Amino acid sequence: MTDAEFVRAYDVAGADFTNAGRASTSIKETLKNMGFASTLVRRVAIAAYEAEMNLVMYARRGTMTLKVTPDDVTIDVRDEGPGIPDIALAMQEGYTTATPEMREMGFGAGMGLPNIQRNTDALAISSEVQRGTHLVMRVHVS
Amino acid sequence: MSTDARTSPAPPACAGNAATPATTLGSVRLAIGADIVWCPDLTAPVTGVVAADLMSDVLVDARPGYLLVTGLANVQVIRTATIADLAGVVFARGKTIPPDVLALAREARVPVFRCQRSLFETAGRLYAVVNGRAGNADGRPPA
Repeated sequence: MTDAEFVRAYDVAGADFTNAGRASTSIKETLKNMGFASTLVRRVAIAAYEAEMNLVMYARRGTMTLKVTPDDVTIDVRDEGPGIPDIALAMQEGYTTATPEMREMGFGAGMGLPNIQRNTDALAISSEVQRGTHLVMRVHVS
Repeated sequence: MSTDARTSPAPPACAGNAATPATTLGSVRLAIGADIVWCPDLTAPVTGVVAADLMSDVLVDARPGYLLVTGLANVQVIRTATIADLAGVVFARGKTIPPDVLALAREARVPVFRCQRSLFETAGRLYAVVNGRAGNADGRPPA
């Protein structure tokens, strides 16, 4: 791999449960093909998948961007949606505003953001109610 | 709920047991009497089992090579298995597997089984296979 930054963006549609997870699966395959260790690939994939499911469940649309440098793998997630009024509360395991339909998909148990944090080395969240949410998830390469 | 079948890297000298045959998709399938829906290789290893309907719980509890037992039958189960490097999925309670779920499983090469038993009984039988034969208190099989 060269020092050049690798960037790939994925458009994600809200409420599209059929394709939910496709971007994260592609991100995982891309990192695997780049030769990253399976542990790193799995951590990034789990964090990306949780973020993608949150986007699909709550937002109208959004973009996931994979950025790879020699030092870090970063997933940048921006969505247009309801936003998160209380980020500290949303970070607590078990806190959720999910609907029964979301839970029927196997998600929405209030584990998403904590699980993202568990699988990343750095996580930054900013959100504006009625506008959207921005997540930056970073995993160090070494 | 999850249980680990990884063999101990340094078995205790007093274990005195012959090496346990590796747990495979084939051996766990026989133990629960599951139908093969799609599986390209029954000799693939199973390192542990996780039973859940909440995929976020699976993403927390499962380790690479675990077999997922679930009563949920939608595409997110297959996506979760792919993301988490799982060995395969057992749909319990004789669940009908929708065509889109099976198509994605084939595309992602995720082995799929169907078991008529309840989720509870399926998980219990798998626990016996993985941790039986005087398994250790920490959930790993005897060395």
